[in-house]
Amino acid sequence: MAAKRYRIGVLFSNSGPYGVVSGSMRNGALLAFDEISRNGAYGFELEPVAADPAGDPARYSQLSAALLGEGIRHVVGCYTSSSRKDVIPLFEKYDTLLWYPSHYEGFESSTNVVYTGAAPNQHIIPLIEYLAGHMGKRAYCVGSNYIWSWENNRILREGLSAAGGSIIAERYFAVGETDHSQVIQAILETRPDFVFNTLIGTSAYHFFRDFRAACMARGIDQVREIPIASCSLSEPELDEIGPGAMDGHISSSVYFSTIASETNRRFVEAYGRLFPSGPSVSADAEASYVAVRLLAASIASAGSDDVDAVRQVLAQQRIEAPQGPVWIDGQTSHAYLTPRIGRSNMSGGFDVVLAARQPVKPDPYLVQATPRYAAHPRRPKLKLVQ
Amino acid sequence: MTEPRIIQNFVGYRAIIITDARAAVSQLESTLSKLGLSISHPDIESGCVQLREDVFTGDQAVLFIDSDMNVAIDTPSHDRMPQVPVIGIVGVEAPSRLKSLMRLGATATLRKPVHGGSVYSALFVGVNEFRYRRVLTVQLEEQERRRRGRRYLMKAIVTVMKSTGCDEDAAYDRLRRESMRQRQSVEDYCESFMRSLPGAHEPDSKVQGMTCAEKSK
Repeated sequence: MAAKRYRIGVLFSNSGPYGVVSGSMRNGALLAFDEISRNGAYGFELEPVAADPAGDPARYSQLSAALLGEGIRHVVGCYTSSSRKDVIPLFEKYDTLLWYPSHYEGFESSTNVVYTGAAPNQHIIPLIEYLAGHMGKRAYCVGSNYIWSWENNRILREGLSAAGGSIIAERYFAVGETDHSQVIQAILETRPDFVFNTLIGTSAYHFFRDFRAACMARGIDQVREIPIASCSLSEPELDEIGPGAMDGHISSSVYFSTIASETNRRFVEAYGRLFPSGPSVSADAEASYVAVRLLAASIASAGSDDVDAVRQVLAQQRIEAPQGPVWIDGQTSHAYLTPRIGRSNMSGGFDVVLAARQPVKPDPYLVQATPRYAAHPRRPKLKLVQ
Repeated sequence: MTEPRIIQNFVGYRAIIITDARAAVSQLESTLSKLGLSISHPDIESGCVQLREDVFTGDQAVLFIDSDMNVAIDTPSHDRMPQVPVIGIVGVEAPSRLKSLMRLGATATLRKPVHGGSVYSALFVGVNEFRYRRVLTVQLEEQERRRRGRRYLMKAIVTVMKSTGCDEDAAYDRLRRESMRQRQSVEDYCESFMRSLPGAHEPDSKVQGMTCAEKSK
């Protein structure tokens, strides 16, 4: 008897402003499909049905509707939050599952989404603690003008304020903008302890290169004197930045390709074998791989790809992922993951400088990690008058 | 009084949900739990919900009221202003139902069946708008109290002008400086000042008001 075959949507952009990272996510998912198809133990086959929005926001909804209209019940995909927000109503309408494999800003927990990327308490909170403890407490924020940057800067402001630090300025640029000369000049004049970068895609690559060049022109050791910290910088992006400016950057992530474990070594080797021309493996590629593995484990356990059946067994699945043990929290549909801090090197990878001892429970609403009250936009200016 | 600080984290809050359509609010309960709130459903007897006094203690309660129920809410307060934030759960969007929610003091609404993705927004806006309105109400009461005290300020200025021969600006500066030294509003200080004068008596506000009105004609 032929093995049961389930069709699974794969919705990633292979081009556009964030095509490099999104491409590595597609590759991570396809690697998992490949492994599952080679593994006879599952007793079924997963057929990836790929759709490529090419970075066009409107295409995400159109392609999702087409996939779900064909009867597909599970789709692995989306990188930006705006694309995820656009497609969620469709998944709710069809009562199907979107497996969303990217770190994001949180404040969401749809019953039609499984979140395998890092929640904010698993990336930005550990980064703030590291920066305040090792780099200083005066930050200059540079980001792309959308929710990812706004929300991370808010959390950074609250974290630094609580630690007695401050944000010198927040500057935002349109996604894809590559001229950052004015903000670079402002950073060099104000000399923060570190730059907090939430630029994405091509904007970020230009900023890293131009900032390093501006520092060198003034005799400033950028890595030592004004380091750049991000919670979105990954290995494929280091390749895009290039050898002149790829080293010395701080990144918070639940996965780096340099994690020393046998499971990760096999994952990186298999990824490189299947996708020799890149993009390099990344945290979001690993999250995509994890999403497909968890989906396969859930279907195997449920005996079907029926959405309710998968939901019921989802939280019982526990896999040994490249980053370590991963499982889904039944209440929030987010993953237990292991936060880490890395520093980029000249090999296009990250040296892991800090790692949590064990996977951290997801807290998408930052219920346990943020203060009751929002930070005041400005501190009152008081001076001693007597 | 300064503007209240924005609350963004509701862990430890108590949500009191008044509805007879539990299925329509399952996502509300699920999302509130994720946000760290505890949930209770008070009994509804003969179309009336009696909320216990302890619901209102500690400043960390929020009421979710289903406007389709047409229940009466009996609270320890008879004030127009609710003591806790109220978020309306709207089914039928008829003006009478929406008006009833407004009268209960609702500062945000959720459409039925409640969608999990809209709960945090409603909670955030509802609670913070309630706190803002409460501060405005207190400020208004304080401003009204001080407005009533302005007549003492007028009297005190005239009294100081007569006794010292200074002009009205100098008299005001003197009273203002002294009120600051005693850490009182200028109106409160002037009331005490006038009452402390020999032969001072309680001014009759009606008579005073009429006199002023007649003079202004």
